Amino acid sequence: MIYTYLITAAVVLVSMLIQGHTSFDVIRIAGVKPDLLFVITVYMGYSFGSFNGEITGFASGLLHDSISNSPLGLMALPKLAIGFIVGMFGRSVLKSNVASILILIFAASIVKGIITLFLCYIFHQGMISAVIHVILPEAFYNAILSPMLFFIFDKIYQGELQREGYL
Amino acid sequence: MELLIRHKSIVTFISCTLFCIISLSVQGSGFTLTFEGIISGIFSPFQKGYNAVQGGTSRFWAGFSELDRVKADLALTRQKLETYEALDEEMTEIRNENLRLRNLLEMKERVRYKSIPGFVISKDPDNWFRTLIINRGERDGLTVNMPVVAYQGDTKAIIGKIVEVRGSLSRIQPVISPDIKIGVKLGESKFPGLLTGYSHNSNLCKVDYITRAAQVKFGDVIITSGQAGVFPPGLVIGTVVKTELPESSPYQKIIVKPVIDYNLIDEVFIIKKNPDKDLFDLFEEMQ
Repeated sequence: MIYTYLITAAVVLVSMLIQGHTSFDVIRIAGVKPDLLFVITVYMGYSFGSFNGEITGFASGLLHDSISNSPLGLMALPKLAIGFIVGMFGRSVLKSNVASILILIFAASIVKGIITLFLCYIFHQGMISAVIHVILPEAFYNAILSPMLFFIFDKIYQGELQREGYL
Repeated sequence: MELLIRHKSIVTFISCTLFCIISLSVQGSGFTLTFEGIISGIFSPFQKGYNAVQGGTSRFWAGFSELDRVKADLALTRQKLETYEALDEEMTEIRNENLRLRNLLEMKERVRYKSIPGFVISKDPDNWFRTLIINRGERDGLTVNMPVVAYQGDTKAIIGKIVEVRGSLSRIQPVISPDIKIGVKLGESKFPGLLTGYSHNSNLCKVDYITRAAQVKFGDVIITSGQAGVFPPGLVIGTVVKTELPESSPYQKIIVKPVIDYNLIDEVFIIKKNPDKDLFDLFEEMQ
């Protein structure tokens, strides 16, 4: 399992650099970037259960908050919640095909966006226009990228998935 | 204990949720700032390292690929230099005349501030906040609320202000951020207003509280008013692209396109000017 944690930490760091560095601004479509850390969180919950999903979500969310201008916990809490919820269903309930992954990531992104907006209203500054300008475009973008990313993660975590009996 | 281990997933979820809620409730406290500082400190070498590798590679590659462009630029620069040399004489005369007129009007001479250059090494990784991280920080004498400008071609314009300073890094809140508030005025008619970001993912700004009596045209320049004490007065921010006259409001709203494109910001200049405390406190109180 240590191996899984190390790989996850490396994947999270690389995703963070891709999301944050100016040279990757080309991936911005309609003003938004995909939330790669969120896709990793959902994947971890989906493949390795609630505990791994929430830990990945919480750790990557805290990292996200530290790099971003968001108050500490604003990005961590939605990711933590989604990692936990997705992990409750996981691969045993949700089939591993392109359509299910697209729907899973789209729905999870919308829920994450709504939780973030709710937290923004309470603790920061919320704008309802974020639903159209951020939540929906980001959900579409995450969903479109997710089959490819899940495929890559399946290759990275091949050994662990075989041990779990999913491959 | 066994119960906790058996339900570790739920226990972890509740503990982490509590941590987040407490942290959000006490945001800005010493604890959250230190915690964020530690994580940010761990991650910043990766950002800087990547930036150095990427910058080095592009500079190395540019040595081969951009030689022709550099030659053309050199020719153009020489041509410009000749023009500027001719202009210099004229400028001296105008400066002297300006000084003489200022003396006649007993106006104070405009304070010139020192500025230091910096490079953008990272941008906010999420879509909810729009900030930039630069490679200058406390060690370079920067403090919170210092204005930041950049050049696009020959035009100098405001791009934002510093909102967070760490050892060798600072965070800039750009003018397109919905969290920023800048006192501005129309370049020609001098009507005042309050500028803020248009939306979370837009590269535009909006100016509120412009009186309906103001005649606003497409292309009008928006400049800083200097009212809040953070930005020096008279610095360009952007140009008017649209005006809106809501029927129920006594004010009109203006949509502004910043001179500096947020996506193209690379090199910035931090103006070493601390906010005028009285003005700043008054503005914050009004907010």
